[in-house]
Amino acid sequence: MSRRQQTWSTTGIMTLMAVAGAAAAARADWLEFLGPRGSGVVPDAIRRTWSPTEGIAWKAELPGKGASSPIVVGDLVVVTASSGPRQDRLHIIAHDAATGERRWERIFWATGRTFCHPTSAVAAGTPASDGTRIVALFSSCDLFALDLDGRLLWQRNLAIEHPRAGNDVGMGTSPRIIDGTVVVQIDCQGDAFATGIDVATGADRWIVPRDKIASWSSPLPQPLPDGGAGVLLQNPNGLELRSVADGRLVWSWKGDCSGIPTTAAGDGRLYAPVDGIVAVKQSSVDPAWKQPKLSCGMASPVAFGDGLACINRAGVLVMADAADGGLRGQIRLAGSFWASPIVAGDVVVATGKEGKTFLVSTGADPAIVAENELPGTFTATPAVAGGSLYLRSESELWKIAAP
Amino acid sequence: MNRIASCCIASFLLASLLAIGGTSRAALAAEVGEPRAQAEFLALATAATPQADLAAAADRLAAIPAAAVIPALDAFAAATPGGANWLRSGLDRAASRLGGELAPAALAAFVADPTRPPRGRVLAFSWLQERAPDAAATLLDGLLDDPALDLRREAVERLLESAASQPDAAARDIHRQALAAARDVDQVERIVGWLAEHGDKLDVADVLGFVRQWRVSDAFDNAGGAGFAMSYPPESALPSLPDTTAWTPVASTDRQGAIDLNAAIVKKKGVLAYALAEVEMPVAGPAEVRIGSPCAVSVWVNGLPVMSHEIYHASDTIDQYVAAAEFRSGVNSVLVKCCQNEQTQPWAEDWKFQLRITDALGKPLATQPRPEQKR
Repeated sequence: MSRRQQTWSTTGIMTLMAVAGAAAAARADWLEFLGPRGSGVVPDAIRRTWSPTEGIAWKAELPGKGASSPIVVGDLVVVTASSGPRQDRLHIIAHDAATGERRWERIFWATGRTFCHPTSAVAAGTPASDGTRIVALFSSCDLFALDLDGRLLWQRNLAIEHPRAGNDVGMGTSPRIIDGTVVVQIDCQGDAFATGIDVATGADRWIVPRDKIASWSSPLPQPLPDGGAGVLLQNPNGLELRSVADGRLVWSWKGDCSGIPTTAAGDGRLYAPVDGIVAVKQSSVDPAWKQPKLSCGMASPVAFGDGLACINRAGVLVMADAADGGLRGQIRLAGSFWASPIVAGDVVVATGKEGKTFLVSTGADPAIVAENELPGTFTATPAVAGGSLYLRSESELWKIAAP
Repeated sequence: MNRIASCCIASFLLASLLAIGGTSRAALAAEVGEPRAQAEFLALATAATPQADLAAAADRLAAIPAAAVIPALDAFAAATPGGANWLRSGLDRAASRLGGELAPAALAAFVADPTRPPRGRVLAFSWLQERAPDAAATLLDGLLDDPALDLRREAVERLLESAASQPDAAARDIHRQALAAARDVDQVERIVGWLAEHGDKLDVADVLGFVRQWRVSDAFDNAGGAGFAMSYPPESALPSLPDTTAWTPVASTDRQGAIDLNAAIVKKKGVLAYALAEVEMPVAGPAEVRIGSPCAVSVWVNGLPVMSHEIYHASDTIDQYVAAAEFRSGVNSVLVKCCQNEQTQPWAEDWKFQLRITDALGKPLATQPRPEQKR
């Protein structure tokens, strides 16, 4: 094959992958942490009631521990885990979405640190997909890109490249794929940085230093004022919006943000967890309102239509109007919540650590409409695709059948 | 047929057989050699190696014949951390494709050979478990003293399982044997716990080899974390050791050998202190210094820097930070600088560290004279 033929061939393959990716993105997949564009919101109506013996499409055993959410890419459900006495075996597992059968599993060794608080896991970051590739980031700062057949395309051992990167509490951030760039946020007391990596090749597009302070929040896709692709990065010192193309800082906003939940976006505002919620206008980066009662614990807030929901450390779900922060209601849910709430159709889905999933109506007068329990410890945020709900416990992956 | 003709025919047949054999050997060599080259290329991967080339080599490795798998496993001997993952990605796919063609006997022989690379043996063991779980389990009986930590752990677990059906005295012997082999801290703790319940009380800190006798300095200022980078008198003349006659002797009574500086000096935030210990090493050479602390720490051995970590209140796990150092035979000094910050959360009050000196697998090496034996 001549060089020109080779070039055309490569270009053709990349074009096909891009087209396939766009087609996949158009499907009702759940491709990343908090689903479509990190919003946590899908229009799908989900089943109201289930139990271990009712309404379950399938259940799959997992080979290790994890707090990462499953993602749904076409007919695959992909989840990560870690195992071994040092939690240094990193698993990426793909299940058949229809049957739950394990299609493939890839196991790698951690190249960075694998210490972790017992409430978290080395597999805490949710993988992301552009429809043709899957990228998975572990607490060891190892980043892997695979195709949908489980073929390793590239890997980045970020703790080798940045020897003091990492957090012995465990890193919790999830990678994002935005406009062909994998954005990774490594916030820690050591070598802190954010980087944009070409999803096709694994090569750096940009890298910027970050404050040397720990955070567990994830990058959030956000449009730039000029309409370009941007990414919002959060740490306890505030927010910053950067260009995905080159990492350029577009604006920054100082505020005592929580280090764990990730800011939500919707209706022209950013909802930042700052002693409650501070709503920041995206157009001017000015505060629009503050609601101290919208306190976030570990879970990220979710913005849906005209509303906003948070779950505080006491397990109380607080709902408010997105326009002005006016409270709609507060509902005490049972248990503690590490998984972030999501919205499916007209209900907030809140999964507690102890296995209870509450469905709460999103209207003007929020109320619990259903409460379902599964065995196990649940710290992973649920996923929804095609009306099916996916719940991941420390040791199992459950598919709740579509209604 | 005369004798000459018979000899000619016999010679021809022998030559033909040799030729066939030679061709087979050449074919086999080519079959094995090419995959081995792919495996070595993957194993040596660095950040500078083109990722597309690595992915292509992993694809080729995934397609190798069964006979080439065991030689390819040897490539783990020179593998970089990232290279080990590339190598594994190709070999796991090959093993999955080959299924039963990958003979359990060949895998078992590779696993049983402690001179082969540990990661290759661990991987081969996982394939063996899938194909012949009974053979894999039996193999563990010979791996109690194995240099591959994961295999050693499995062997200790199997030994412990065998204790369940034994009378107390025999079970105690089995647990003591398991304790001698165990290197993982959780496994050691579990075994010591069992022995304690059965009347055999051991000191966990002794078993794990924590250095427990120190002399501790007064507190120095660490406001704003600035003290971490400052060279206070105890370290300003290093490698000459500080005079510690005015320092406070502290002997840890903590189950896991921790030195609590809040108790030893003063409960205060934004301060730092130094601690010096003398340890005996049986032979000269390299050993691992393993420290755990929720505070920022620096460590020197015989006055030479070993490691430095400016991290506050992320974890205090045993063996949190590990670094190699050169020791001499006999008495050596270990100096620790332990810095507390000004965080006010209740979980940020701890100002402590725990340190041990081990071989690469975690076997304690350093000893200290008992207090009454001190010079």
